[in-house]
Amino acid sequence: MITYIGSENIISPLGNSAEENFTHVSNGKSGIELFKNVGVGKEDLYLSKIKSLEVDHKFDYLLSNCLDSIINASSDNIINSEDTIVIISTTKGDIQENLATPIQASVDKLQQDYNLAHTPLVISNACISGVLAMNTANNFIQANSYKHAFVIGADAISSFVLYGFQSLYAVSDEPCQPFDKERKGITLGEGAAGVLMSSDPTVFKKESFEFVEGTSSNDANHISGPSRTGEGLYRTVNKTMELGGVKTSEVDFISAHGTGTLFNDEMESIAFDRLEMNAIPLNSLKGYFGHTLGAAGLIESAISMQSMRNNTVVKSLGYANDGTSGGINILTENIEKELTTFLKTASGFGGCNASAIIRKVK
Amino acid sequence: MSYISSYCHISSTIYSVNGQVANTFESGTLDEIISELYTSLDIKYSKFHKMDQLSKIGFIGTELIKRDFPAIDNYGENDIAVLFANRRSSATTDINFLDSYQDGGIPSPSLFVYTLPNIVIGEISIRNKWFGENMFTISNHFDANYFANYCDILLQKSSEAALCGWVNVDDNKIEAFFFFITKKDIKQLNLQLNSEKLTEIYRAI
Amino acid sequence: MENLKRELKEQIIERLNLEDVNVEDIADDMPLFGGGLGLDSIDALELIVLLENDYGIELTNPEEGKEIFQTVNSMSDFISRNRK
Repeated sequence: MITYIGSENIISPLGNSAEENFTHVSNGKSGIELFKNVGVGKEDLYLSKIKSLEVDHKFDYLLSNCLDSIINASSDNIINSEDTIVIISTTKGDIQENLATPIQASVDKLQQDYNLAHTPLVISNACISGVLAMNTANNFIQANSYKHAFVIGADAISSFVLYGFQSLYAVSDEPCQPFDKERKGITLGEGAAGVLMSSDPTVFKKESFEFVEGTSSNDANHISGPSRTGEGLYRTVNKTMELGGVKTSEVDFISAHGTGTLFNDEMESIAFDRLEMNAIPLNSLKGYFGHTLGAAGLIESAISMQSMRNNTVVKSLGYANDGTSGGINILTENIEKELTTFLKTASGFGGCNASAIIRKVK
Repeated sequence: MSYISSYCHISSTIYSVNGQVANTFESGTLDEIISELYTSLDIKYSKFHKMDQLSKIGFIGTELIKRDFPAIDNYGENDIAVLFANRRSSATTDINFLDSYQDGGIPSPSLFVYTLPNIVIGEISIRNKWFGENMFTISNHFDANYFANYCDILLQKSSEAALCGWVNVDDNKIEAFFFFITKKDIKQLNLQLNSEKLTEIYRAI
Repeated sequence: MENLKRELKEQIIERLNLEDVNVEDIADDMPLFGGGLGLDSIDALELIVLLENDYGIELTNPEEGKEIFQTVNSMSDFISRNRK
């Protein structure tokens, strides 16, 4: 049985649909801008912030708007079906406005508003949450637990998270530059993205893709420092390729995690080197969207699906000079070519790593 | 078909292994109870003292399961999936982190790193050198249906066993339940994994 | 200076939750990172917070910490030269 994936949507500073976002990204436009006095010491900092989003409970707004778009791009009524699960990926939810129950209050509201047959499954597993949510949807569909899964990832910028990354000296004072020699850390972003996954290809209004396989693995090394050997990332990619029966030569491009911190990007380059994936075109999309945490895996997968629709791999914005030791093929220009398969990876605090393979339906 | 091969409960008044009460606590603060539990394990792990309460309880629950089920050491390093869940993510540590910078203070980096609930899975993976599947989920209630179903799914895929935890440490209360799922009924507890059985033993204490 | 060193050791133990360690266990010239006391990267950042909170000394670049936090001796030297 095939798990189909499609109806992708993105809400970010670059637009409110996957198409709009992809158009800007393929033109090299970034959502990152300088904001005044936002840091813990009132510093000006770069953020990828949705300026038009002047609502209370931004997280709730992002979730429901993203879900609406996926519903509109799919068959009527499956959102309320007994065969459907909604899977939500987030790290801090509504922490800015609801410290006591930042996630659960929003999810309860969503379940009521949409009259869902099942309680949504909420995955909060640091920066791999989005990829893990797709992997979990695939596992449910393959096991026939559910036929359809609406998978949404969302996180809003909060002073809580921004100050936290500042306390780790992990925030760049320039727009982030993943994998570059001069990289200085992350740029925080916000947004939402979602996909529909299903065992039935007819529920998608546009062409869908095949979700081949996805797995996760822990570094078993440190809670906040990435493994020096890229251990967990190496292991999850190996496992995903093996279970999916996909050869390295079949992967057209890699949508890497690439946060822009010294240690993360170095770790990823080491893992891809160990995987002998040095030649495969690779990008990080953080230069366009910043690091959107729980939304990142889904935003980046949705852009990569758009890449496949448009047969264009976008360049890794912010990258100019090689700054990692693995010797990997980071894109400085967009590539236009027939694409069939991509690998998505993510890594996060707690030593977690996840990977997934998506390809055009044969 | 999968089996529950070991389980334990930890609350603010009692802890039990496979339904048998192992110890009761005199009333004390959470930190005192956690310290008493750690001391009773008789291990030296200096990283323990740096953890937040969620990670400490997750760590202790895992050690209790390992003691009850020593054959856990026979699994390969990629074999054990770790699936944890709770009601309120890292709420207690979130508040502590917020307190560190409110009123002009300096945000604490060591608190910030614990403001993600899956850090407990990281701590357990580091301690035991487990490289398997990871997932932390959040729900209002112990979701026996999810745990039973998803363990079955992972054990039919690439995992050989699963360590699960429902770990709540909020409002000065501990409510934790750990269980270890295997493919065979190795310890012959005769507990075939399904959501009814899981609910039954979850509620048993 | 001896008072400052003792105070520093107490503060390090408390702030970094080194429950298994006593003031007497930390020699003035013992490496705090790597071997020695075995502190890690998050501990180093927490020591920067300690400098700012308790001694009013702000480090602009965490890299400076590498030299300063080598031992209790180097920390106390730095603090006595820079405290406000």
